Amino acid sequence: MAAAGAGHVATKGVASLLLGGLYLFLYAPIAYVIYISVNKDLIWPFPPQFTLEAYELLANSSTYKDALWNSVLLGLGSAIICTFFATMGSISILKYRSRWRGLIAIVYLAPLFIADLLVGISSLLFNRQVLDLPGNMGSAMIANAVHGTSFAFLIMLAQLARYDWRLDDAAMVFGARPLRCFWEVTLPIIWPAMLGAFIISFILAFNNLEISFYNLGAIPTLPTIAWGSLRFGLSQSPELFALAALVNGAVLLAFTVMYLLMRYRIVSFGHRD
Amino acid sequence: MAYGPSTLRRRLGPEGRFLLMAVPGALFIVVFLLGPIVSIIVFSFWRTEVFNLIPDWNIDNYVILFTESTYIEFLKRSFVTAVLVSLACLIYSWPVAYFIAKHGDRYRLLLVLALAAPFFTGIILRIAGIQGVMGPVGIVNLALMNFGMQPIEFIMYTQTATGIGIAYLFVPFMVTAIYLSLLNFDFELLEVAKINGARPWRAFIEITWPLNWIGTVIGLVLVFVPSMAESITPRFLGGPNAASFGSVLSLQFGETGTWALGSAMGVVLFAVSSIVIFAMWRTVNLQRSGFTGKGS
Repeated sequence: MAAAGAGHVATKGVASLLLGGLYLFLYAPIAYVIYISVNKDLIWPFPPQFTLEAYELLANSSTYKDALWNSVLLGLGSAIICTFFATMGSISILKYRSRWRGLIAIVYLAPLFIADLLVGISSLLFNRQVLDLPGNMGSAMIANAVHGTSFAFLIMLAQLARYDWRLDDAAMVFGARPLRCFWEVTLPIIWPAMLGAFIISFILAFNNLEISFYNLGAIPTLPTIAWGSLRFGLSQSPELFALAALVNGAVLLAFTVMYLLMRYRIVSFGHRD
Repeated sequence: MAYGPSTLRRRLGPEGRFLLMAVPGALFIVVFLLGPIVSIIVFSFWRTEVFNLIPDWNIDNYVILFTESTYIEFLKRSFVTAVLVSLACLIYSWPVAYFIAKHGDRYRLLLVLALAAPFFTGIILRIAGIQGVMGPVGIVNLALMNFGMQPIEFIMYTQTATGIGIAYLFVPFMVTAIYLSLLNFDFELLEVAKINGARPWRAFIEITWPLNWIGTVIGLVLVFVPSMAESITPRFLGGPNAASFGSVLSLQFGETGTWALGSAMGVVLFAVSSIVIFAMWRTVNLQRSGFTGKGS
C-alpha cells in the first residue's frame, strides 16, 4: 500500500516536471524576444542596458505601419467570413437531426488536416488560372478564412453544445420570424461563442504567413515583412524583436481575457469544471 | 404572399432548414479548398514555360520527382522528421495532458490555455524566438561559450535542430487534443479497475489508452500534417543544407516559377498526408473510444 502510494507520488512528480519543462520550452523564446526588445545589445544582452530604441524604430517605420494596417484588414475580413460560416454551421449541426450532419461536420473540419503551405500554393494557382483573380486582399481573406472557419467552427460547437434550442422553437411558436428569433433569442446567448470564434480566426489570419504570402500579390503584411527581415539575420533587425514582443503580448492578453471570461462563467467555450 | 417566409419554412421541414444553414459554409470550403486541390492535381500534368502554365498533358513532373534522387531524399527527410516529431510530441504530451486533466483541479483551464496560447503568435515570430534561444549564435550557445564551455553541436544547423523547432511549433496541438479527449474520459473507470485488482499500468494499457485513442490519433495527425509540409523552420534552424520537401516546394512558386512541378510536389504532399490520415483513422473504433455522439 505504502509502495503504491510512493509510486503514485513519484509519477505525479515526474508529470509535473514534464509540464514545467513544456512551459519552459514554450515560453523561454517568448521571454527572450521580450527581454531583447528592450535591450541595446541584441546578441549578448548581459549586463542589461535597457532602451526603447527598437520600439521607436518600429513606430517610425512606414513599412511596418502599412503592413500592420494590411494585417488588421486581412484579419478582420477573414474573421467575419469565418464567424459567419462557423455560426451557421455549428447551429445547423446542433439544432437539426439530419442524415447529412456527419458529412457537413467532415467538410467543416477538413481544412484542419491540410497544411497551410498546400492551401497557399493551391489557392494561388486556383485563383489565377481558374477564377482569373489576381493576388490581392480579397483572395488572401478567402484563403485564410478556409482554415479559420474550421477553428471557429470547433469553438462554436464546443460552446453551443449545451444551448437549449427549444428557446428558439418557443419564439417561433409565438410567431417570430427566423431572423428576428436569431436576433432576439439566440444571439444574446451565443455572442460570447461568436466573439471567441472571431478573436481566434482574427489572430490566425493576422499572423498567418504561408497562406497569405502566396495570395496577397505584392501587398505586405506583418508576417511577410518579418519573414523578409528574418532572412537577413535576427541581429540586423531590432524592430523585429519589438514586433514579436508586441504580438506575443497581444495574443497573451487575448487569451487572458478569454480565460477570465471562462473562469467567471460568463462563457464556457465548452469547458467543464 | 405576406406569409412567404413562414410558408417556405414550413414547406422546408427540418432537413431543408438544416441544409439551408449548413450548405453555404460547406460550399465555401468545398469551392476554396477542394477547388484548389483539384486544380493542382490537373496542373501537375501540365508544364510551365516562363511563369505560365501550358496545358500540354504529360507525366514528366512525376517522373522527375520519383527518379531524381534529391527529390526522393527531401521527401524521405520530411517524412521521417514528421514521424519522429509526432512521436516525440506524443510521448511528451501524454503525461502532461493526463496530469492536467487528472490533477489540475480548478487550474486545469489555465494550465491548458497557457499551453495553447503560444501557437497563435504565428510561425515566423515563433521561429525568430526559438532561433534566438537555440540557434548557432543563440543565447544558449553564447552562454556556454561565455563560460568557457563547448557549444551544443547537435543544435547548430542540424536536422535535430529543425526537429526541435517543428516540435516547438506544433506541440500545442498534441497536448490540446489529448487533453480534450481526457476531459471526456471517466476516471472512475480506473477506480473500478483498481477495486478489481488491476495494477495502475495495466489499467492504463487496457482502459485509459484505448478509450482515448481517438484524441491521440487526432493529435498525431494534427502534428504530422503541418510538420511534413514545414518549409520555414529548416531554413532558419537547419542551415543552408537542410532543405525540406516543403521548402523545395515553395521554391517552385518563388524564384524558379516552375508551377507545374510545384503542383506535382503539392499533390505528392497531399497524397502522403491523406494516406497517413486514412491509415490512422482506420485504427479508430468509435464505439470503443467512448464516443457517444452527444458532443462534449
